Amino acid sequence: MEKYKARVESIAPGVRFCAVKADTFKTARLNFTMAMPLEGDIAARALLPFLLHRSGRKYPDFSQLNARLAELYGAALSAGVSKLGEAQIMSLTINAIDDRFALDDESVALNCARLLLDLVFDPNVRDGSFLPEDMKREKRLLSEKIDSEKNNKQLYALRRCESLMCQGESYGLNPLGEKREVESLDGERVFKAWQESLKKAKIQITMAGSTDSDLVLQTLKDAFANLEREDVDIKTNFIKAPEKEEYFSEEMAVEQGKLVLGFRAGMAHEDDNREAIMLMTYLYGGSPHSKLFLNVREKMSLSYYCSSNFVKAKGLIFVQSGIDTDKEEAATRAILAQLEEIKKGQVSQEELHTSKLSIADSLRAVEDSPENIVTWYGGQLLRPSFTTPFEEIEKIEKIELEQVVEAAKKVRLDTVFMLKGSGEGETDEN
Amino acid sequence: MKIEEIKNEKLQESYFKVNHPSGLTILVMPKVGYASAYAVFATKYGSIDNKIPQADGTYKLIPEGTAHFLEHKLFESEELDAFARFAQTGASANAYTGFDRTGYLFSCTDNFSQSLEILLDFVQKPYFTQETVEKEQGIIGQEIRMYKDIAGWAVLFNMLQAMYHHNPVRIDIAGTQESIAEITADLLYECYNTFYDLKNMVLAVSGKVSVEEVLEVADAQLKSSKGQAVEREFVPEPTEVLKDYVEKKLEVSAPQFLLGFKQNVKTPMRSTQERLAAAIILDILAGRASPLYKRLLEAELINSAFSFEYFEGFGYACPIFGGESRDPKAAAEEIKAEIRNLRSKKIDEASFERAKRKLYGRLVMMYNDVDGLANELASSFFENNGLFDSFEACESIELGSVNDLLDDLFAEDAFVLSVIKPA
Repeated sequence: MEKYKARVESIAPGVRFCAVKADTFKTARLNFTMAMPLEGDIAARALLPFLLHRSGRKYPDFSQLNARLAELYGAALSAGVSKLGEAQIMSLTINAIDDRFALDDESVALNCARLLLDLVFDPNVRDGSFLPEDMKREKRLLSEKIDSEKNNKQLYALRRCESLMCQGESYGLNPLGEKREVESLDGERVFKAWQESLKKAKIQITMAGSTDSDLVLQTLKDAFANLEREDVDIKTNFIKAPEKEEYFSEEMAVEQGKLVLGFRAGMAHEDDNREAIMLMTYLYGGSPHSKLFLNVREKMSLSYYCSSNFVKAKGLIFVQSGIDTDKEEAATRAILAQLEEIKKGQVSQEELHTSKLSIADSLRAVEDSPENIVTWYGGQLLRPSFTTPFEEIEKIEKIELEQVVEAAKKVRLDTVFMLKGSGEGETDEN
Repeated sequence: MKIEEIKNEKLQESYFKVNHPSGLTILVMPKVGYASAYAVFATKYGSIDNKIPQADGTYKLIPEGTAHFLEHKLFESEELDAFARFAQTGASANAYTGFDRTGYLFSCTDNFSQSLEILLDFVQKPYFTQETVEKEQGIIGQEIRMYKDIAGWAVLFNMLQAMYHHNPVRIDIAGTQESIAEITADLLYECYNTFYDLKNMVLAVSGKVSVEEVLEVADAQLKSSKGQAVEREFVPEPTEVLKDYVEKKLEVSAPQFLLGFKQNVKTPMRSTQERLAAAIILDILAGRASPLYKRLLEAELINSAFSFEYFEGFGYACPIFGGESRDPKAAAEEIKAEIRNLRSKKIDEASFERAKRKLYGRLVMMYNDVDGLANELASSFFENNGLFDSFEACESIELGSVNDLLDDLFAEDAFVLSVIKPA
């Protein structure tokens, strides 16, 4: 059974506080996350967390803000933007040493919590607008971040497959926004996005550490006291099967080609057969004893990596592999053949058993770090209530082999994306 | 068998150091309140160990990437491969090869003893055949090709190759397609017999575990050492670099760069004090709160990818700055100018105290994760240090010694700017 219990408090409509008190750790972690539908002014909201984490009214300059973080024993402040199903997720996280290790009597965690809330609620703005110099800097940084997504070829190929597969669905959009949208932003537009997000977004504040959550809760209640909230509804559209299979490819001067196969998992909603699909994806390509690893890598030596992952929040499965460009057909065939094996029932009780063991093992380890705890509970901000890792284990353990085979039968290939090497990868100069 | 408990009251942590009769050093750090345990069985054999010491005191050169190749092959056995065995316990297993070590590891929340038994067993039972070696050449060939497309990897090795004349840190960890083609089953056995002696290895465990549990398995599984720890050859480096600028083109969105300064080191290893002092200097010089960082960002010479580190190991040490820049040469000039500036005015007391406080916090944070701790324990063994040395030294570090190091850390005439330009 779980060691730590999450304390959950509603702060305002659509605003939730989740605190896990644990005095095992050397650190405390606090995360502030806002979720909005992945539509509308995506670029303006994408800029927000980065802008907010660089300065604030009390620390108008990022050098001052970082000097303050150094004084708080090197507390680490980070900003992030991602998507969860068809929600755009904007978050700020602060990670600091636990109060027990402070060299004076002040609470580091409480100071960090106040700092984080100051940054969110009291930004450096003037006359309903963020400042031009801050806007100029953040627009450049975000725009370069979007460009740099092509630098990681594995991730780039996955993103391309996702967006081609989900054309016309908001899941196909980049949560960082489109570059030309980012370039067109001004201080007023982002100010509006800030106001709108605080008013409408689903918000969750998640913390883990030994600090008394009452103090943080009170600070949060005060911060939201003067806000008029009208909580937005966020829905993700699930498509159970594609109309037809699609194929796309692109050429780049790379050494290794990247193959991505995108599948629809046959889900009608987020809880539709989720555990069976999770197990199926795991034994298909989730570990070094999975079918894809053993066959595509070990038996056929086609690749160094070949793995599958399950996007629960949208009902998608992706298989990714790095291969020689001229082995595309052989690799695609081998990947699909392994899925066919599962569909035909060529999967053993042993494979199911070891997959359950591995998944349960990693779920039990969630309680071993504030980071994992915050990721676990923070990742559930769109759900009406929380599931603990142990409840998840119970659900997984109940799944029978037939359910895994049935789940596989509903999986349909939707889109294949191949990043082809044009054979000009090496150009040494100097 | 000698079992010693090493404590640190301020951190409220302790670990056990065991000199096992087999010749192996075992380090165990029980962590109260944790659900998982992490074990790493590591040998002091990495990519920089590209020579096998011979009986007559000379060294024999081996192909680049052999340590990494051996790591891949050790998972295989005549019967069930190691991954399949770990699947039965639910543990998650892996391995890595670095510049100075190879580590085999698992983490688990249950069946710890069974998993430890598998770990100790498979690492002590090599099984290499010509056929399995050939099969692996395809897989590792793909791994090498994958790394060639990673700009961050290419920019680092291009820099190291321009900086070091002899030090094997300049060799790519996985080797090259050509070098791995030279690897044979016999060579793997020869390397195994040299470097996988228990006296050259360490077992480090952290988490939900007791020293008794570990020893029970170790006593049953460990074979006795027949050999000895391997002495690395220290080849002094010329103070100068080979080239001060290297460039390559890859499919990247903007130029990527690394600027490294070749430190003139007269001994193979840096002391704990020197590493901490270097960390403080780099933070004051280029950290997020520094004037340099602000200037670079405002001049649009860096973006959020900017970072720095003190890169050091056996016989090499260099502070490195890097990131993405529209103009890497201009960014490098700014960094060099700030180094000169800081040298002439010296680090002040206030910046020093702030950086020290941050360092203290970051060192405390290190004691959270069982995987990080077990690997730190292994490092401390390879470097002949205690786990708590850095934490304890942090308290006593003084501004004077930091300013002294500032004079030596950045060689004005021995730096390399490595750039990856968009193709």
